[in-house]
Amino acid sequence: MTETPAKGSAMQASDSASGADADRWQALAPQARVIFMLSGAMTALPAAIAARLLTRIFDLPLGWTAACAAAVLVGIIGVWVGWRRYQLTLWRLDLYAFSVRRGRLWQTDTRVPRNRVQHLDLRRGPLERYYGLATLIVHTAGTRDSSVALSGLAQADAEALRDVLARQSEHDLAAGDDHRSDAVQTHPLPPR
Amino acid sequence: MSHPPAPPQTGSIPAPEQRLHPLSWLFVLLQQLKQFLLPVLILLLFGAGDGRQLWGLIAVAILVLVALWQYATFRYRIESDSLIVRSGLLERRLRQIPFARIHNVALQQSVLHRIFGVAEIRLESAGGSRPEAEMRVLKLADAHALEHLIRQQARSAAAAARAYPDGPPSLPESDTARDLLSLPLSEVMLLGVISNRGLLVVGAALAAVSQISPDLLRDLAEPLIDALTDWLNLQPLGYAQYAYAALVPVLALALLLQALSIALALLQYAGFRLTETGSRLTIERGLLTRLRTTASRRRIQAWTLKEGVFQRLFRRRALHVDIAVSRDQSEQRSFREIAPIATADTIDGLVRHVLDQADWPPRQWRALHRYAWLRLALPGLCVAALATVLLGYHVGPWGLLGLLWIPWAVLAARRHLLHAGYAWEGELIAVRAGWWSRHWRFTELNKLQALRLCRNPLDWSMGTASLWLDTSGAATFAPPLRIRFLPIADAQALQAQLGAQIARRPLRW
Repeated sequence: MTETPAKGSAMQASDSASGADADRWQALAPQARVIFMLSGAMTALPAAIAARLLTRIFDLPLGWTAACAAAVLVGIIGVWVGWRRYQLTLWRLDLYAFSVRRGRLWQTDTRVPRNRVQHLDLRRGPLERYYGLATLIVHTAGTRDSSVALSGLAQADAEALRDVLARQSEHDLAAGDDHRSDAVQTHPLPPR
Repeated sequence: MSHPPAPPQTGSIPAPEQRLHPLSWLFVLLQQLKQFLLPVLILLLFGAGDGRQLWGLIAVAILVLVALWQYATFRYRIESDSLIVRSGLLERRLRQIPFARIHNVALQQSVLHRIFGVAEIRLESAGGSRPEAEMRVLKLADAHALEHLIRQQARSAAAAARAYPDGPPSLPESDTARDLLSLPLSEVMLLGVISNRGLLVVGAALAAVSQISPDLLRDLAEPLIDALTDWLNLQPLGYAQYAYAALVPVLALALLLQALSIALALLQYAGFRLTETGSRLTIERGLLTRLRTTASRRRIQAWTLKEGVFQRLFRRRALHVDIAVSRDQSEQRSFREIAPIATADTIDGLVRHVLDQADWPPRQWRALHRYAWLRLALPGLCVAALATVLLGYHVGPWGLLGLLWIPWAVLAARRHLLHAGYAWEGELIAVRAGWWSRHWRFTELNKLQALRLCRNPLDWSMGTASLWLDTSGAATFAPPLRIRFLPIADAQALQAQLGAQIARRPLRW
């Protein structure tokens, strides 16, 4: 595992991307870190159960100790992974597209052109509501990437993003199929 | 039933409501019976005697009632710009389908349909899991009229809705159909030989039989094998004769399978015709069940051109397209195979003709990363390593023979890399891959959706990335529109440029 700070790579990439964009990669809301770490820690439970079952099946001693050890070990790794996932999940809204970047070793960078947004969902679970967060789900007409979900956005950001992206697709509908009319419109996000 | 709810006010002259053909309940029933065929058969076969047959009859009676009820409640009306379908058993459903939203019109006529002079029509629009409307069944003349009307209306609605200046100049839309491709009988038979569908069918049948009754196959095969061994034991045969004796059934089986494949191909593709009427493409095919499906050429989302080993042997290729309609069970009914078999030149000409904003084939294919063959060979190398270890464990030093796989894997990877590549010329973006069995996949820029750049640890070590281009309605088993092993800087630049280009082109589907 490399310990290179995530920010560095994000900035580099945004420089090499299309020159038109002024917006940079943005991190998720700080409160979201807790949720990411918690969801990482959740892996402790199946690990404990698996350890207990394995000790039972193979008749090994120290069943419950092994289960606890597995839970602690996997839990710690899970928390670390969650923390890294939080750090490495970035989003960006530029002139042309809404982008989401995830991970580092297995990195994906999904770019949804703004006029390809079909509809948008905002989802808030109980924990997210407690921390003032929301999940934005962007739907396209595609097949494999027909929906791109980004969780851990501050609620205000998520709503602003939703409104901006929705306005864009509305604008497209209104403009019909005329692609001469400089269909790219800028709808900058309101300042946080 | 006596008081249908008032139709919605759409501001146009209300047209009279129409019903399905009076016999439509029969076909609905048959359709339902097809679904319940197995349970009913099992009930009838195994439930003999103890009154369970009665249950089967009751079930059939209920199905008849449901079918009649469906016929009684189904109405449709043609408005100026849409079709209104009202149906429902207990909950009523009113559906308004704008003609401009219909992506595909499929008309189907089975033998039974033909006997009664009726046909079945399906209207499909983008997305969703079910067709927008399914008319089972209409009188043939009505079906043709509806099909014709939808074509006309969709055309005028689309023409009114768009006026793109540098798009295709709206051609003088004529009703004269132009043949783009028609398959003679010999080609259809060749398709059967190439497709080898018989093997699949027999395999599926065997699997189904072994699922339903595991002992049946063994019970059938055992006496045969016994008789055969007895007979062989009686004959004093040499090795050569044994070999012949083994060869005969194998050959017979192969011939039988081929005959079955050809028969299947004839059933499905006999009389295949691809025609063009104005901007709409129509596929007609089928020996007993005639199928006609129509879609506008701008509804085509992506293209797949395939060339397998057998196809190359006979110098043929196959061309499929994706349109953005529901992908449910009846995949073979939808508008997909626009050229099941044709020579490379014919297909290239066809693509050039239908893709009017782009040229095909691309003048120049851009190569992938020069060391990408290492990555392509990797699975083969892993297999070789595993085989060597396993063989070595079992047979000692001879296991090293497993390493012989390595040169082959490397050769295959290098050949593959020679043929793999991508092209972006004007409106066309294309990817090709494969060596033994090749494919090309391409689309126009305005059909692209999301762009995804992926890197895994191996990509990091080589400085590459893969770019996935998403389109609508991609078939589950179609090769992905994906450019692998691009140098990372190229991949990022391509993603950014394509993204900017897509943003200039509104989604048209």
